[in-house]
Amino acid sequence: MLQITPPKNDKPVVESKKPSKKGLNIIIVGCGKVGTTLVEQLTREGHDITIIDRSPQLVQQLIDKYDVMGIVGNGASYSVQMEAGIEDSDLLIAVTESDELNLLCCTIAKRVGDCAAIARVRTPDYSTEVGYLREKLELAMIINPELEAANEVARILYLPTALEVNSFAHGQAELIKFQVPDGNMLDGITIAHLGRTISHNVLFCAIERDGKVYIPSGDFLISKGDIISFVASRKSAKTFLERIGFKTNHVKSTMIIGGGKAAYYLARQLLRMGISVKIIEIDKARCEELSILLPKAVIINGDGTNEGLLKEEGIEYTESFVPLTGIDEENILLTLHARQVSHAKVITKINRITFKGVISGLNLGSVVYPRYITSETIIAYVRAKQNSMDSNIETLYHMFDHRVEAIEFRVDEPSAVTNIPLVELPLKKDLLLSFINRNGRIIIPTGRDSIQIGDTVMIVTTHTGFNDILDILR
Amino acid sequence: MNRSMIRYILGYVIAIQSILMLLPCLVAVIYREPEGIHFLIISLLSAVISLSMIRKKPEDSVFYLKEGCIATSLSWIVMSLLGCLPFVLTGEIPSFTDALFETVSGFTTTGASILSNVEGLSHASLFWRSFTHWIGGMGVLVFLLTIISLSGGSHINLMRAESPGPSVGKLVPRVKHNARLLYIIYLVMTLVEIILLLAGKMPLFDAVATSFGTAGTGGFGIRNDSMMSYSPYLQWVVTIFMILFGVNFNAFYLITFRKFKKAFEMEEVHWYFIIILVATGIIFSQILKTSAGAFDALTQASFQVASIITTTGFSTADFNLWPQTSKTVLVLLMFIGACAGSTGGGIKVSRFVVMVKTIDKELNSYIHPRSVRKIKLDGKPIEHEVLRSINVYFMTYILLYAVSVFLISLENKDMVTNFTAVAATFNNIGPGLELVGPTQNFGSFSLLSKYVLIFDMLAGRLELFPLLILFHPGVWKDAVSQKVSESNPQIYRDLGSSWHD
Repeated sequence: MLQITPPKNDKPVVESKKPSKKGLNIIIVGCGKVGTTLVEQLTREGHDITIIDRSPQLVQQLIDKYDVMGIVGNGASYSVQMEAGIEDSDLLIAVTESDELNLLCCTIAKRVGDCAAIARVRTPDYSTEVGYLREKLELAMIINPELEAANEVARILYLPTALEVNSFAHGQAELIKFQVPDGNMLDGITIAHLGRTISHNVLFCAIERDGKVYIPSGDFLISKGDIISFVASRKSAKTFLERIGFKTNHVKSTMIIGGGKAAYYLARQLLRMGISVKIIEIDKARCEELSILLPKAVIINGDGTNEGLLKEEGIEYTESFVPLTGIDEENILLTLHARQVSHAKVITKINRITFKGVISGLNLGSVVYPRYITSETIIAYVRAKQNSMDSNIETLYHMFDHRVEAIEFRVDEPSAVTNIPLVELPLKKDLLLSFINRNGRIIIPTGRDSIQIGDTVMIVTTHTGFNDILDILR
Repeated sequence: MNRSMIRYILGYVIAIQSILMLLPCLVAVIYREPEGIHFLIISLLSAVISLSMIRKKPEDSVFYLKEGCIATSLSWIVMSLLGCLPFVLTGEIPSFTDALFETVSGFTTTGASILSNVEGLSHASLFWRSFTHWIGGMGVLVFLLTIISLSGGSHINLMRAESPGPSVGKLVPRVKHNARLLYIIYLVMTLVEIILLLAGKMPLFDAVATSFGTAGTGGFGIRNDSMMSYSPYLQWVVTIFMILFGVNFNAFYLITFRKFKKAFEMEEVHWYFIIILVATGIIFSQILKTSAGAFDALTQASFQVASIITTTGFSTADFNLWPQTSKTVLVLLMFIGACAGSTGGGIKVSRFVVMVKTIDKELNSYIHPRSVRKIKLDGKPIEHEVLRSINVYFMTYILLYAVSVFLISLENKDMVTNFTAVAATFNNIGPGLELVGPTQNFGSFSLLSKYVLIFDMLAGRLELFPLLILFHPGVWKDAVSQKVSESNPQIYRDLGSSWHD
């Protein structure tokens, strides 16, 4: 493997300054959990944001906290959109409670302002028709946080040794996060040694130790307890993990607590993968719905937070356990309980995040944040919209609590980075070119490789606000 | 409390002042006056102080409303203290208290002076005096916001503390762009006024100084007789611009972006013009007999009304000699003041509109005790919080007013003088009646009274609460408190480890 970062670079990552580019005019309708996260992240990226919500209190809270303009009213109404300046807007994002309202907001915005529009649509009724809706209503994007969260959970359950699995290059490459356990063969060897002896087609992107994140160079010494993120093609990731002594079989059974939309999407995926699913849901009517929708799953009507019921339904025997109730505190408690009584792989869903420090101190293992997944997708879109012609952002992930960004660029046109061997490119510090995807083939690059037109390139960096492949240059 | 952030902002404010003070130096160079050197000294001194304050960027940039208020009021105090030093150094206003009074009066756009012979000042000092109006009119922190970027909520909290009016509305999403827009409108209108005054054959220096006084709704004249000796054309230009600067700036923004309908539908502006018309009408009919013809009477009446309601304080006539009704009308106008979101002072038309509507609602609730009714302004319902803050504002205003009048009365001056002296300073107007009338000045007051009036001017400009919060014991406690982790990190570490066990 090749390290493109300068050799002596093992300093902890410091928050880097964002470049001052001209922001877009963005209107966000709905100030719920996702809306708030979007406001937080998009203001950080330097966009001009107007928020619309029916509740004056919610709007006031956000205005006090962030530098945005607030309007109280129905976001789907023409006059409210005009007041929010829809005519000069570049993008409208509708994330209210109701799918129908979101779609209406976007449709009106398209007619009035001719701006790009993103709607959140979560109901399974529409989820199969997303493509059709998107095309006919001319939306830029339809997001479904529950579905995205379910996908992420499913990816982890497919590789239960990992803490987090993010996919790039349409699933060809994966960014996998795991923790080095006590007595593992990785403990006490350098990355360069690892590359020579064990595997040369994986790339270590970022390592977290004692709350600090490093972008490692070749002489970085791995030790137990480190949380490592690496990139590899799907196949070589499994081989690598097996070689260093991890089991890589996917789970055979899973128990889901709570039968909401995310649970439905997850169960549908897992059943398709041949994993047996048991869902515990408290509401009788919802149980009946689920049993119609998911005939192969076992649906249990009962209180998932009842210790006796969990025992009865075999929490000790299940291979994985996913609490998906709407209440974070319940999810966290269920996770802690499951870790105590079983060896199941546990994945916790956290909807709203306060007491971040406490949550990370609890050592919950794999945690999924639906609202981050959504906002990452939107930010990737916004950055791509903002940038010039010759490259485009395909995917973007925030890792390690926003301290590291992993971005996949598509290179469409010749530029200063194409056709030049990587060793000769003047790359920024704290930046790693982790793979090149050429026609579906994943290349872990060496200094002799170069970026070609048509490639997608994935970089990992502690800089923020990249929206163009040229940003990697000094 | 985030002390380092307050220090940082104060540092920037001083830096801005240091740069602005170079302008009177330039004036001194043009007129070859030795006084310029004193301005240069203070400018350099400010530069040194500010550099030492902004050298270290604060690590923690969290900023709440209380920090915003404290930073704002401290900025105004520091600016006044530094701004008055040149007057003392040049010896033109030898007493420190007098110099401070004059500078505070300038920054707060009051225009009350302690000088009996304004024409004796050097051009540099005259320029600085008028320039303080221009700076204070829109606010120095609003100016600061156009330059520096702060984190998240800091912007709106600073803007809220400094901008006049019951609630701050944004025109565009980012505070920075809002502040820029406001300053652009402000600058353009000032320039237009200068040009129109020059067209009326006013000397350049007079035109610039007068425009600064009008734009900030300040009212420092550069002649002993204020505006009396200028031609009617010039008086009319000043009248119109005084009225314009008293209009809510949102209206100008809307007009610039061709949203005429919305601009002309602003309820507050309607009432503002109605009040001006009625007051002018009353005074016109009263002074018609004593003045030299209808046009002269109209000029006089409209100028004085505009000057008082916008809290500018220029004068073209000694209205102290006018009939009682006219004087009473002017005193009432003092309290009403200009529109919210303008550069004027006073209680603000919008607060009065809302209060009158509250009275109507109260009466209605006597007729229909169970009726539910929301008070609306510009067609939008007013939140209960805003109503409450307007009522409390009014109460506090009256209390402070009463206390100030009492403190001034210790000197044994007559009632009208005391009452209007406080009215003229608290509402940032300038001239009052009798001993503080348009041809008089504030020089005869005692030391105590001057400091009371200085406090009143600052409180009036900052709309009471940002300044009053400095006197709240809770803030003092906050100011000296330390973060626990700084002084005793051990406690938290122990807690943390037991939690994991």
